[in-house]
Amino acid sequence: MAQDAPGAVGARLSPKLDEASLIRAVQRGDQDAFEQLVRAYDQSVLRLAVNLLRSQEDARDVFQEAFLRVFRSIDSFRFDCSFHTWLYRIVTNICLDYLRKRKVRKEEPAVVDTPEGPLDRMNDFEEEAAHANPERNLWNVQIGQRIEGALGGLTPRERMVFELRHYQGLRLRNIGEILGTSEEAAKNCLFRATQKMRAVLGDFQ
Amino acid sequence: MNCESVTKFIPLYFYGELPPEDEDSLEQHLDTCAACARQAESQRALSAALDRRAMQPSAALLAKCRHDLMRAVYREEAPVRRADFSPRGALAPHLGRFAAWLPSLGPWRMPLGASALLALGFITARLTAPGAAGPFSLASLTPENVISSVRSVQPAREGSRPGEVQIVLDETRRRVISGQLNDSNIQRLMLAAAHDENNPGVRWESVDLLKSHSDSSPVRELLLNRVAEDPNPGVRLKALDGLKTYTGDPEVRKVLAQVLTHDDNPGVRIAAVDALTAHAGDDMVGFLQGVVEKEDNTYVRRRCVKALQDMNASVGTF
Repeated sequence: MAQDAPGAVGARLSPKLDEASLIRAVQRGDQDAFEQLVRAYDQSVLRLAVNLLRSQEDARDVFQEAFLRVFRSIDSFRFDCSFHTWLYRIVTNICLDYLRKRKVRKEEPAVVDTPEGPLDRMNDFEEEAAHANPERNLWNVQIGQRIEGALGGLTPRERMVFELRHYQGLRLRNIGEILGTSEEAAKNCLFRATQKMRAVLGDFQ
Repeated sequence: MNCESVTKFIPLYFYGELPPEDEDSLEQHLDTCAACARQAESQRALSAALDRRAMQPSAALLAKCRHDLMRAVYREEAPVRRADFSPRGALAPHLGRFAAWLPSLGPWRMPLGASALLALGFITARLTAPGAAGPFSLASLTPENVISSVRSVQPAREGSRPGEVQIVLDETRRRVISGQLNDSNIQRLMLAAAHDENNPGVRWESVDLLKSHSDSSPVRELLLNRVAEDPNPGVRLKALDGLKTYTGDPEVRKVLAQVLTHDDNPGVRIAAVDALTAHAGDDMVGFLQGVVEKEDNTYVRRRCVKALQDMNASVGTF
């Protein structure tokens, strides 16, 4: 059974550092503290954006926009939820905007046909699976298109819930909190997402 | 637990989101129901396929994102030089609001904003008439390509008819000149525009256009001059950007080193570190160690430390 991805998400702060103190320092205008705070979360934020948007450029834009919003509005953070939840509300809102815009202008496929053959636009990324595997490219071309198609059939919200649960390893209760909904609604969203994908990839084994 | 509820619970089971008692019931059902067991297997296969799709952003991408972010943050923090304009007259409250919005744009866009403010300030001065009668447009009295402003109003002179006044107008005639950037006349005009001390927007735009011609000596000299002398950090950054392909040139490096040690804007200093360390050599070690010792900005300091580490040099001096 799949478990939460250990360490996939969340603070990478040294245990000696108190996050609340760090946030208060940022609120006082301490740039060094801001940089430390960014470093604690930026890998997971970038990973979410990359996996969700499948575009290096969009992921960079989301990264910058999200942390600049944090920088501009850190004064409004009142510790009534965890910083992680607050940050992810910002990040997921920006990502959802990107996904919705894409829905309108029709999603760009991750694998595109070129005169030289199919090309995976994501080849610039390091992949968790061993990318030295010669079967990898073949997998990208043949299966990647089908999976991208299945993911493309999800609503932005379904896709977000799925990404947060499957790739980021967040609990559904936390996902509900981030997305401003209930755990039950997040569960239903995850169920719909998996059903849709299994319908598209039904014979996939 | 029946097949219908198992169908709904399988994804939750797979993600460990089921309460322990439901998990036990579901597992018992899967042991006895082949159809549901196939569904569970299908979920497992789907998950395995999706795992293979997982992307880990490269270290280079993460570094680039961090770099861009901190530069953007420093740009946001850079002081906006407000002395470039002085809104007055009937439009002043609107200009005030516009000015309050400027810092969020950052110095990269600030020159354009400043340019707009200057234009608005000029228009305000031109069009605002005293009293409650509201603005009166001189433009309606002058040709379209002529910009007028009142220099002085003189009372009636001796010998003139009663009630006669004399108004002195300054008129600027607008003329549009088009041409290629490699045309020497056009380039001369652009070089002059890049020195227009009253208009940072025009300087920024001129430098931006000219930097693609940095192979020309006058343009390169201009870029060096602007990066060292321009009062606006946006223009300095733009000029520095234009020198990127010449960071191996000793003269350029000399100016960049001066910028790194003297510029008051951390964003510009960061850009100078990046440009200098693109061609890092052993001769830079002492210089960078000195910067690390004196630099008060954490990020600039870290960039220098990183460059020293990349050169396998010690960070401190002994």
